[in-house]
Amino acid sequence: MPNKNGSVYGLTILSPIIDDEKVTPSHDLQIRKYLATLPTGELSPFALAPATHLARLVVMDDVIYVGMPACEEHLKSKYLVFESNCDGELDDYLAGLAASVPEQLDAIWSHCVGYPGAANRQAFIDYMKACQLETTFYFAAVNDKSVPETLRALQTQHAVSEFIADHQGMEPARLQAEFMQFVAELKLAPVPRPGSMGEPRYIKTGGRNE
Amino acid sequence: MSNINGKVYAMNAITPMKPWKTWILRGFFFLLGHIKPLQQDLINLSFIEFARWVVLPRRQFPFLGNGQAEEELQYDYLLFFSNFNGTWNQYIDAFSAVLSKGLNLVWRWSEKFPGSVPVTSFKEYIARVQFDTDYYYTAYPHAAANDLKSAHVVQASFDKLAASAQNYTPEQFEDAYLRFVLEVQTHLGETGEAPIVF
Amino acid sequence: MSRLNETDIQGFVLRGYNLPVARYLFLHFEDAERARSLIGRLLHHVTTGQRWDGGKPQSTVNIAFTQRGLAALNLPDATLLSFPVEFQQGMKKRAGILGDSGLNSPERWDELWRGDLVHAWLGINAQSAAILDSRYAEMLELMRETGGATVLASQDAAAVVIDGKSTTREHFGFTDGFGNPDYLGVDRSSQPGQGKRMPNGSWAPLATGELLLGYADEAGELPVAPVPHILASNGTFMVYRKLHQNVATFRSYLDEYAALYGGGKEKLAAKFIGRWRDGTPLDLSPDNPDSSIAQDPNRSTNFTYGADAEGTRCPVGAHIRRVHPRDAFGFSGRLINRRRITRRGLPYGPFVAEGGPASDSEERGVIFMALNASISRQFEFVQQQWIEYGNDAHQGNDKDILMGNHGGRGKFVVQGDASRANPPLICSKLPNFVELRGGDYFFLPSITALGMIAMNLVDPR
Ligand code: HEM
Repeated sequence: MPNKNGSVYGLTILSPIIDDEKVTPSHDLQIRKYLATLPTGELSPFALAPATHLARLVVMDDVIYVGMPACEEHLKSKYLVFESNCDGELDDYLAGLAASVPEQLDAIWSHCVGYPGAANRQAFIDYMKACQLETTFYFAAVNDKSVPETLRALQTQHAVSEFIADHQGMEPARLQAEFMQFVAELKLAPVPRPGSMGEPRYIKTGGRNE
Repeated sequence: MSNINGKVYAMNAITPMKPWKTWILRGFFFLLGHIKPLQQDLINLSFIEFARWVVLPRRQFPFLGNGQAEEELQYDYLLFFSNFNGTWNQYIDAFSAVLSKGLNLVWRWSEKFPGSVPVTSFKEYIARVQFDTDYYYTAYPHAAANDLKSAHVVQASFDKLAASAQNYTPEQFEDAYLRFVLEVQTHLGETGEAPIVF
Repeated sequence: MSRLNETDIQGFVLRGYNLPVARYLFLHFEDAERARSLIGRLLHHVTTGQRWDGGKPQSTVNIAFTQRGLAALNLPDATLLSFPVEFQQGMKKRAGILGDSGLNSPERWDELWRGDLVHAWLGINAQSAAILDSRYAEMLELMRETGGATVLASQDAAAVVIDGKSTTREHFGFTDGFGNPDYLGVDRSSQPGQGKRMPNGSWAPLATGELLLGYADEAGELPVAPVPHILASNGTFMVYRKLHQNVATFRSYLDEYAALYGGGKEKLAAKFIGRWRDGTPLDLSPDNPDSSIAQDPNRSTNFTYGADAEGTRCPVGAHIRRVHPRDAFGFSGRLINRRRITRRGLPYGPFVAEGGPASDSEERGVIFMALNASISRQFEFVQQQWIEYGNDAHQGNDKDILMGNHGGRGKFVVQGDASRANPPLICSKLPNFVELRGGDYFFLPSITALGMIAMNLVDPR
């Protein structure tokens, strides 16, 4: 089934947005406004709920006219696009969202046609599936690792690199003891929170926030 | 609105297709899905975390009643969603340079597609049919696809050594540790912020 | 492609002069008309790309302009606005993109570059200091006579002299000046390893448009260029960066990690760069330098990394592998052919031999000058993605060991194997071996374009 690649699920949802002339600002603008300030880091609803690798929400205003000699045509509804790359089976994933972040889901989807609310779990799942599109081709660079496994691996990679650098030239018996200690410590370390920048750093290296 | 979160860029594109052509495109995707070597270039390009194409036939836009007007369209649409690392220009340059045949097979059925070479007209087309992301989340903003793959290699090697470390004599451990370091030595890149987009 | 008109192209673009001493003058134009008359007079002095079959000249003169310089010459707005964005902005405004922060940030640059007064670069190269001085005097005289420009500052640079002989060493002690791309029509014969890698394993010159405006580039298009085309054709863009070298830091860091490294100090030094100090490529001779390779043009640049994916010969993060990955990214090199730059730099400051009293604070480094048809696609990309970032090399955020703006935090992995002489090593807490002291982006026009500028005949249509 093209919606899945290995153990990753590619969910594509197009929810028609309510078109109501009496509402100002219009529903699509209200969605955009809400999304503009919704946290994207550790407090993102997708970080609070389980199993999302990457996800996006996009207000699709219309189809795009590519110019002559193509025909110009327009959509009657605007759609909210929800694209998610997540672990597991669809029903479980949607149920996890509804259980963890119902307020955020409602704040977004209450602007969409026929949305039943997240409180009614089964109605929510049925609604999402009614808006779902079948993916024609789905590519995943890594398709056999869950979100927690991935976060754990990134943490291990960083720690291992530091361990190796700090233990060069050490005599074997001591190295072995320190390694076993390191293994024990790493096992106890909590898995980094999804949506976070990984290990805390004093100074950000390169880039946007410098 | 932001198409960027940490090391990933969210691209959305929509292009119109004459309905009879979508069948050819479906056929191509069917082959792509079933012939692994065809996907190899995507894997080797190594800067796409997830990507998908969705053929959306003109009569299959979700319709929920409740006063929603039914769409009346002449074209089917091809939706493309990509989660890639690096800059927009780098991504499209690379696509055009090494995957032009594959891209042409995907998009040549779309109206006005100019071909993926030369790259300037291709970029103009993408820029025109791209629509921006309102909200973008990633569980690991500090990691690119390459970082993820490397991290999994390190984790596997580490787990192996961790499982047997206590059974070794110091001399055996020394050997095993060296093998471990050699296994991970090309996979230790730091994770962190992405460079500024330009 | 048709033959290049070498008399219309500045000589500096077509070849490295290999003249031992240089002085770069930074000019400011106060009055457009007088500045144009200076350029008109200079036209007779500018060294073109004509072959030196009759013998090398004693000295050369070349000129290039910043965006502010072209504006000060009153080029039409429609022309000025048609230049690529990065050139219009200048290098200082690109600091974020280039990773020029911290120790490399513009506030710390030399005073000349902190300001916005530089309008032109006038480069003089010469056979000897005396010849340089007299050519310099001649240039000053031209400026005095025309009142066309004031000299804001000048920068001397020279090949490092060791035992009385001028060399191609740089201050860290490595032989430089091997790798530079070959272009179609520019190079008479191409040297293996300098051009682009073909699927059958041979090497071919890069498209002319990777260096010169007005010719097809590797994507089969004309590079982005200002209007009118005749102003752009046969011209190129130059990146000028004054790169200070912390020689004392480099040497003590190398000593510190050599003590942890079973391969020995010289091998570790070679691992940083990808070449032994004499220039022997590690990929061709991983165990020891071999001058017969280093001195043979058929071999000195003729190598690839495909068979060394693990970096056990040349580390994945070594300087030359970072900045010119050859076949390392697969797709028979097609991902890198539009990211090549032509280097025309020279060292500045006194050379201190290994063991001599070197300090970081002495003025010493490389005047890095790179030519390319597109600063953003070529130089800026290499600087941002391959020097200050490592994703393409599968190295995450690890930077180029030599050039990276590490700030004491970076690391460099020397990949190894199970043999005693080639163990793996992680060099961490990397300091900045090199610091940026300023620079800018310049347009290096053709002779025709210089004439148009001098006569105020630039018409954007
Ligand atoms: C203080 C500054 C620098 C020093 C000391 C330095 C040193 C060297 C050395 C020793 C080599 C090997 C010789 C050769 O292959 O020609 C080299 C090659 C090279 N460097 Fe640098 N470099 C510096 C800055 C830069 C910068 C800023 C860039 C690019 C933005 C750069 C790009 C290159 C390139 C493209 C090569 C040729 C690689 C090849 O073709 O294999 N270098 N450099």
